[in-house]
Amino acid sequence: MNPPAIVLQALVHTYADGTPALRGVDLCAMPGEALAIVGANGAGKSTLLQHLNGLLMPSSGSVQIEGMALTRATLREVRRRVGYVFQDAEDQLFMPTVHDDVAFGPLNLGLAAAEGQARVQAALSAVGASALAARATHRLSGGEKRAVAIAGVLAMAPSILVLDEPSGGLDPAGRRRLIELLRGLTQTRVVATHDLALVLEVCPRVLVLHEGRVLADGATAELFADEDLLRRCALEPPLGGWARIAAAQQPR
Amino acid sequence: MSRLATTLQDLRALDALAARSTPLARRDARAKLLVTLCFVVTVLSFDRYRVAALLPLALFPTVLAAQAELPARTLWRTLWLACPFALMVGIANPLLDRAPMLVLAGVELSAGWVSFASIALRIALSVSAAVVLIGSTGMPALCAALAALGLPRVFTVQLLFLHRYLFVLVGEAQRLSTALDLRALSGRRVGLALHVSLLGQLLLRAFERARRVHQAMLARGFDAELRLADPQRWQQGDSLFMAGWCAYFVVVRYVDLPQAIGSFVTGLVQ
Amino acid sequence: MLRALASTGLNRCRPKTAQRRDACTSRGTKASPKFDLEPYLFSRVWDTDCAGARRTRDVGAFIMHMADALLSPVIGGAMWLGSGAAIAAASRHLRRRADDAMVPLMGMLGAFVFAAQMINFSIPATGSSGHLGGALLLAILLGPHSAFLVIASVLTVQALFFADGGLLALGANMFNLGVLPCFVAYPLVYHPLAGPAPTPRRSAVAAVCAAVVGLQLGALGVVLQTVASGISSLPLQGFLVVMLPIHAAIGVVEGLATAALLLFLHRTRPELLTAAPEIAAPQRRPLLRRLALATLFTGGVLSWFSSTQPDGLEWSVARAAGTQALPAPRAGVHAALDEVQHRIAVLPGYSFPDALPAAFPAAFPAATPAPAPGFEAGPPKAPQSRLPPKPPAWPDVNRGTSLSGVLGGLVTVALVAAIGLGLRWRRRLN
Repeated sequence: MNPPAIVLQALVHTYADGTPALRGVDLCAMPGEALAIVGANGAGKSTLLQHLNGLLMPSSGSVQIEGMALTRATLREVRRRVGYVFQDAEDQLFMPTVHDDVAFGPLNLGLAAAEGQARVQAALSAVGASALAARATHRLSGGEKRAVAIAGVLAMAPSILVLDEPSGGLDPAGRRRLIELLRGLTQTRVVATHDLALVLEVCPRVLVLHEGRVLADGATAELFADEDLLRRCALEPPLGGWARIAAAQQPR
Repeated sequence: MSRLATTLQDLRALDALAARSTPLARRDARAKLLVTLCFVVTVLSFDRYRVAALLPLALFPTVLAAQAELPARTLWRTLWLACPFALMVGIANPLLDRAPMLVLAGVELSAGWVSFASIALRIALSVSAAVVLIGSTGMPALCAALAALGLPRVFTVQLLFLHRYLFVLVGEAQRLSTALDLRALSGRRVGLALHVSLLGQLLLRAFERARRVHQAMLARGFDAELRLADPQRWQQGDSLFMAGWCAYFVVVRYVDLPQAIGSFVTGLVQ
Repeated sequence: MLRALASTGLNRCRPKTAQRRDACTSRGTKASPKFDLEPYLFSRVWDTDCAGARRTRDVGAFIMHMADALLSPVIGGAMWLGSGAAIAAASRHLRRRADDAMVPLMGMLGAFVFAAQMINFSIPATGSSGHLGGALLLAILLGPHSAFLVIASVLTVQALFFADGGLLALGANMFNLGVLPCFVAYPLVYHPLAGPAPTPRRSAVAAVCAAVVGLQLGALGVVLQTVASGISSLPLQGFLVVMLPIHAAIGVVEGLATAALLLFLHRTRPELLTAAPEIAAPQRRPLLRRLALATLFTGGVLSWFSSTQPDGLEWSVARAAGTQALPAPRAGVHAALDEVQHRIAVLPGYSFPDALPAAFPAAFPAATPAPAPGFEAGPPKAPQSRLPPKPPAWPDVNRGTSLSGVLGGLVTVALVAAIGLGLRWRRRLN
C-alpha cells in the first residue's frame, strides 16, 4: 500500500511575536486526493500550507510528506515533491520571460537541456499558455500570470500540488479554465480558498479551519449543508449564501 | 499626469517597442551594444568646436531607428527631455567664450555658440543612440549580452530583477501617490512627514515582496546558482554589422565630409 | 502648446472639482496613445498632482547627472574603468558572502529607489522640492557593496530608458553617485558617527552628515570630470562656487529624507536596520587600501590632464598657490604619464588626428587647416601640442570657408534625412 501523501500530527506553529497561528492540526491525505482548506481570514490556512513544503517549520508536531519526515536535511527532496502555487502570482514569476520562468524549476532539478525544454512545453500546453512562451512576465494579464505560475510548478513534476487562493482575481472565464485544469490533474491537490463554489466543483473533501484548529474534516456536500458549523466559522453556504437559503425557506 | 504615471507609460512603451520582432531586434545584442559604444566614443572624440563634421554621424541612429521600426515620435520625445544639466552647463559657453569664430549671413557667431551647438549635437546623437539600443533590444537580451561581455553575474541578474519588478513598484507608488492626492486638499503640499509615510509603506512592501519572491525561488529548488539565459548565437551578419559601422565611424572621424560636400557644391556653382 | 502652458499655470490655484477628479483617475491609469507634450514636459521637472496642477519644482532633476556631451572619451573611459573595477570588487564580495536572499532583495530595493526618486516632498520656505537619492539608505540597509550594485543598476536603467546622461557618462555617474556615497561617505562618515547600534537620533544626525559629504564629493567629481574633459568652457573655480553650495543644500535635504525613513523603520521594523553587515575594524584595512588606490588613480588621471589642460586647473592652481605657472612637468610621475599618453594617443582627444591631414594633404583636401580657419577646426598647430584649438582672432574669419561648411552641413542633414525616410518607406511597402 502507498504511504499517505501528507500526514500532519499535532502541528503547532507560533509566530515570532508569540501569536499562535496553528494550535494542533491533524491531517492525513492519500495520494490523488483533492482536499480543500477553508476558513475565515486569519484562521491559519496559509500558515498550514507553508508547512507542506517546508517554507515554515513547525514549532511542535510533525509533518510527513510521502512517508518522509520534514527536516532541514530533507527540505530539498520535499520541495521536489511538493509544488506550491503562491497567492500572488506576481511574486512567483520572477524571471524575465515566461519560458525562462517555467524552465527555472527543471533547471534547478539538474535536468538536461532537452528534457527541460520538453517539460516546459508540456507544462505550458497543460495550462493552455503555449502561445505565451516568449512573452515578458511583466506584460501578462492576471489570468495569464496565474496560468504560467501553475505551469512553472507543473514543470517540476511534483506529486503533490498546493495552491493558495488560486481563483483570486480571476475573471469568470479564467476561473472556469482553472477549475477544469484542477479537475483534470491526478496529483494530490490541496487548495486553500475562499471560493466555496470552486471547492464544490473540485474537492470532494474539505477541512474547515477556525482559529488555528480543525473544526471539521469531511465530505464537502455534507459540511456545506451544516449551517451551524458554517456560522461558527464565519463562513456562509456557497452559491448565494444565507439569502438563498432564506429565500428557499420562504413560504410560497 | 504625475511623474510616476508618465514614467510608467514611457517604460511600458519602450518595453513594448523592444519586444517586437524587427530586423534590428534580431541582431545580436552584443554587436549592438559594442557598436553603440564605438559610436558614442567617436562622437565625443571630436573637439569642442566641431559641429558640421559631427553631422554625418547622425546616419547611424537614423538608419538603426528605421531598421528597428522605431516611431520618430519616440526619438523626438526623448531628445526633448534629454540632459537638462548638459544644456545648462553648455549655455555657459557662449557667455564665457566670446572670441568671434565665423560669420554666417552677416551675423557674427562667437566660438562659444559654436561649442554650444556642438554640445547640443553631441547630446542629440548620444541620446538617440541609447534610445535606439533599448528600443530594439529587450532587457533580458541586453543583460545576457552584458554578462557575456564580462560583467559579473551578480550584477546582471540583479539588474534583471530590478527591471522585472520596476513596473510593479512604480505602479504601486503611483497608486499610493494618487490615493494621497485624492485625499489631500488642493494646493496642500506633501511635506516630509507625509512623504516618509508614503515611502515607508513602499519600502516595507518592497521588503515583503522580496521575501516572498525569495520563498518562491526556494520553493522551486533555488540553490544559490545564478543562471542567465544564453545569449543568441553570433552570426556572420553581426560581424558585418559591426565592421561596417565601425569603418564608417573611422571615415567620418578623419574625413570632414560636410566640408568636402560643401566645397564640391560651391565649386559646381562657381 | 502656449495654451496648454497657460492653462497649467491657471490650474494651480483652483480647488479640485469632481470633474477634475475623474480626469485624474482616468489620466493616471490609461495609457494614452497620442503624443501629448504638455504633461510630459511639466511633469518631468515639475511635480504635478493628479488634477494637473503644478506643485513644486524638483531641483534635483537638473543636477548631478553627468552627461556624455560634456565628457571626453579619455575621462569617460577612466571613470568606466574605476566604476567597472568597483562593480567587479563588490560582486566578488557578495559571491563570497553567499547570501541567496540578497539578489532578489537588491533588485526589489533598486526598483524602490527608482520609484522613490520620482516622489517629491516640498521644502518649506522655498518653491522647490527634493527627493530621496537612495545611496546612503541602501548602504545602511544592505551594506556598501550591495548598495553600490543597486545604485549602479538604477543608473543603468535610467541611462538606457530615460537617456539620463548617456552610455559613456554612466561610468562617471556610477562613480559620483555610487562609489563616493557607498564607499567613502558611508564607511568614513556615517559608520563612525552612528556607531554599532545607534539610537534613532544619532543615526539621523549621522545620516545628514554623511549625505552632505557624499553629495559634496559627488559634485566635486562632476566638476572635475567636466573641466578635465574640456568640452565646456566653465572655469574650475566658478563651477565649484556654483555646484558646491547647491549640493550642500541638496545633501541636507537628502540626509533629512534618509533620516526620516530610518526613524520610520526604527519604529516599525527595527530588525531591518540591524541586518546589514557592520564594517568591523579588521575589515576596515582592505577598505582603506582600496580608498588609497582610488585616490592615487584619480590623482594620477588629474595630474595627467593638468599637463594637457592647463586652463582651468592652472588658473585655480595659480590663484591658490600665487604662482603664475605650473612647475614644468618633466620629472617623475608627470614625465612617465606624458610618455604613456604619447604612446597611447589612439583616442583622438586633441590634435593627433589632425596630424594625418597634415601628413597626407592630397587625401584630405577639405581638412587642410592652413591658411585661414573656417567653420571647423581652429588655427594650425604643431602635432605635439595637446592644447584644445583656440579660436582665431578677429579679423581672420574667412567667409568663403564658412559658406561651404554650412552648405555641406545642410546637404549632409538632407542626405541623412532622405536615407532615413527612404528606409522607412521601404519597410512600410514590404
